[in-house]
Amino acid sequence: MDLFNNLILGFSVCLTPVNLLYCFLGVALGTLIGVLPGIGPTATIGMLLPITFKLSPVTALIMLAGIYYGAQYGGSTTSILINLPGEASSVVTCLDGYAMARKGRAGPALAIAALGSFFAGCVATLIITMFAPPLAEFALKFGSAEYFSMMVLGLIAAVVLAHGSLLKAIAMVFLGLLLGLVGTDVNSGIRRFDFGISDLSDGIGFVAVAMGLFGYAEIIANLELKGKRAVITTDVHGLMPTRADLKASWKAVLRGTGLGAMLGILPGGGAVVSSFASYTLEKRVAADPSRFGKGAIEGVAGPESANNAAAQTSFIPLLTLGLPSNAVMALMLGAMTIHGIAPGPQVMNERPELFWSLITSMWIGNVMLVVLNLPLIGIWVRLLTVPYRLLFPAILLFCCIGVYSLNNSPFDVVLTAVFGLLGYIFIKVDCEPAPLLLGFILGPMMEEHLRRAMLLSRGDPTVFFTRPISLAMLVVSAFLLLLIIAPTIRRKREEAFQE
Amino acid sequence: MKVKLGLTVLALCGAVLCIDVGTALAQSYPSKPIRLIVPWTAGGATDIFARIIGQKLTEGWGQQVVVDNRPGASGIIGFEIAARAVPDGYTILLAAQPFTVNTSLFSKLPYDVVKDFAPVTLMAYTTNILVVHPAVPAESVSELITLAKSKPGQLNFASMGSATTGHLLGEMFKIMAGVDMVHIPYKGSAPAMTDLLGGRVSLMFDTVPSAMPHVKAGKLRALAVTSAKRSPLVPDLPTVAESGLPGFESAPWYGAVVPAGTPKEIITKLYTEIVKILNMPDVKDRLSNYGYTIIGSTPEQFADFIKTDMAKWAKVIKDAGIHVD
Repeated sequence: MDLFNNLILGFSVCLTPVNLLYCFLGVALGTLIGVLPGIGPTATIGMLLPITFKLSPVTALIMLAGIYYGAQYGGSTTSILINLPGEASSVVTCLDGYAMARKGRAGPALAIAALGSFFAGCVATLIITMFAPPLAEFALKFGSAEYFSMMVLGLIAAVVLAHGSLLKAIAMVFLGLLLGLVGTDVNSGIRRFDFGISDLSDGIGFVAVAMGLFGYAEIIANLELKGKRAVITTDVHGLMPTRADLKASWKAVLRGTGLGAMLGILPGGGAVVSSFASYTLEKRVAADPSRFGKGAIEGVAGPESANNAAAQTSFIPLLTLGLPSNAVMALMLGAMTIHGIAPGPQVMNERPELFWSLITSMWIGNVMLVVLNLPLIGIWVRLLTVPYRLLFPAILLFCCIGVYSLNNSPFDVVLTAVFGLLGYIFIKVDCEPAPLLLGFILGPMMEEHLRRAMLLSRGDPTVFFTRPISLAMLVVSAFLLLLIIAPTIRRKREEAFQE
Repeated sequence: MKVKLGLTVLALCGAVLCIDVGTALAQSYPSKPIRLIVPWTAGGATDIFARIIGQKLTEGWGQQVVVDNRPGASGIIGFEIAARAVPDGYTILLAAQPFTVNTSLFSKLPYDVVKDFAPVTLMAYTTNILVVHPAVPAESVSELITLAKSKPGQLNFASMGSATTGHLLGEMFKIMAGVDMVHIPYKGSAPAMTDLLGGRVSLMFDTVPSAMPHVKAGKLRALAVTSAKRSPLVPDLPTVAESGLPGFESAPWYGAVVPAGTPKEIITKLYTEIVKILNMPDVKDRLSNYGYTIIGSTPEQFADFIKTDMAKWAKVIKDAGIHVD
């Protein structure tokens, strides 16, 4: 029972007082920065790297990992309470989570988010334990053609994210695509749409767009109402989810976990897309999709589980192949290098105590997080009763600090404000920001992979159809497209539009 | 009498003013925290190097040396900030290859490499390694060249991005060997490595710490290192120049510069301290584990190096026809 021995080894290393302490510090800090808008795990890990010099490599990695997946837990808090995505992957939670909070059901939303994340974290850790090497090999098979087809699938499914007019949703997706084009083109190195501003030459930051469109816009819209309606009902129905809630969400949690675990493995940012994908899936399989956007608990349970599962499985490419799948993993790679560990395929064999103690610490970290977060729900909900005139300046201040902390750049703060204004305009013309964000993320990636796939195949477009995984995804996309433009659906939409 | 008194006072004032302000400043330097600008993201190779040096400077001087990461635009954002900083010795810039390469890539830069900066010291250099996917039937550089000549346009090489070191090395290789290979740019070294491991690209010029774990695991084959001399990390691996392409040499370097106008005494103080740090046994150990060869040149030697490096890459970029804007 090799697995059993490895787990014993892992637990024996990470159940020491020092490691437990740093694990707790990591997850607590992670939760905190997940709640604070803007400052994310990337900035925090970057700032804490020097401190880890003094620690042993295992302790350092346990703490840094704790910060990362802890931030996924914390990120949902502000999304639900004040429509401010604390983390890129919590954007989707804003949609139904905030709607639930407006109805006085912030408590159950937060609780389901925590519980779903815990379940997803445990399952994902189990997956890593048992399937890490073969999953990594599978991830290697994903080339540009496969990524492109996956993104085509994603964009078509994105249409489902919209609640209202189909045309407006498509328009927002295109606007997002255009915004995503700003920056340096990967394939030619040429700057596009940056108007000579150096700060734009690497593209518009996702955090600026998300916080502006969701958070700032919401604040502006609320201020316009000037207390004519209560921002959040102070009549809070209860802190814990009801039986009905649990019954409705357990399947969503399972689906979200599966989806997130799969997408997190793919090097190249499956994690952010995982929450979007889960939301889309939930809306598609729901008996009554019109509930979404108004406080459907599946819309919180699914994406939250997905993003936590993805956060855990995104360690797989790093630990088994030495390939970081996102910016945080790249920092972890840096941390490993500083401590003299050469990340790569050999780490599992040469330093098994490192590999297994990191994995077992994830389990322990998840338990700590759920113990930490559930009691805090009461405090967070009480925060909503603070008068809005005191609350919103504090929110704005934290946002600005958070955005600034990303690149030490005042330009980013101004950009967030610009997007806030834009988001307010969108609210006024009844256009939804979620499809824009998805277009913004997927568009540039699609272009990069399309051109690279063509470069690699020397201009042969059939490469998307001759590679099996790519072909499979394109077939599913075509099927989805058919479903969307099928007459019955169109009729239903027209009916809803007329209402 | 009054005139004589007046002249004496004037002369004394003049003498006071002539006291070398620079030396006075240098003696109290550093009296507050120093900012070490690193125009790359935290956790990357340059950042790690900077943090090692910064930590030792902090210990030696008792004043915090804060690493300020300002990534973006091939380092231009960080370079610009350093160029505009007050030249009082409290801003140091960690310069690397893009410092000299950018001038030939961009038609308009918000700084001038020679006029806006004063070199302190060339700290270290490392090497790049040429790795191929095992399916490529070439065991040495000369075999690779023969293969590439027999299949023009069919081999491709990955790089960390357009106009990065990996790209420029590939172009230099193509020009000097007279072969035709397709350049495939990626956003960073991780996606490039992924496609290389998956066999979708044939070869890559990568950094030694990044490629070696895969070579050791048998997933990649290392052909040569790109520096003029063999690397201490992989002494068995020949250089590109030794194994089929004489005259080919390039080495990513790391140096410290300060804004132009910084008093000479402060520059000398910085230079002496950094060279002292570079020769400390534990620093030497750590750096050579990462594959860095320590230099610690004088400011004048560094200035000469910057000029020759700029000229060298200007030629490569022109011959390869690389445009950025």
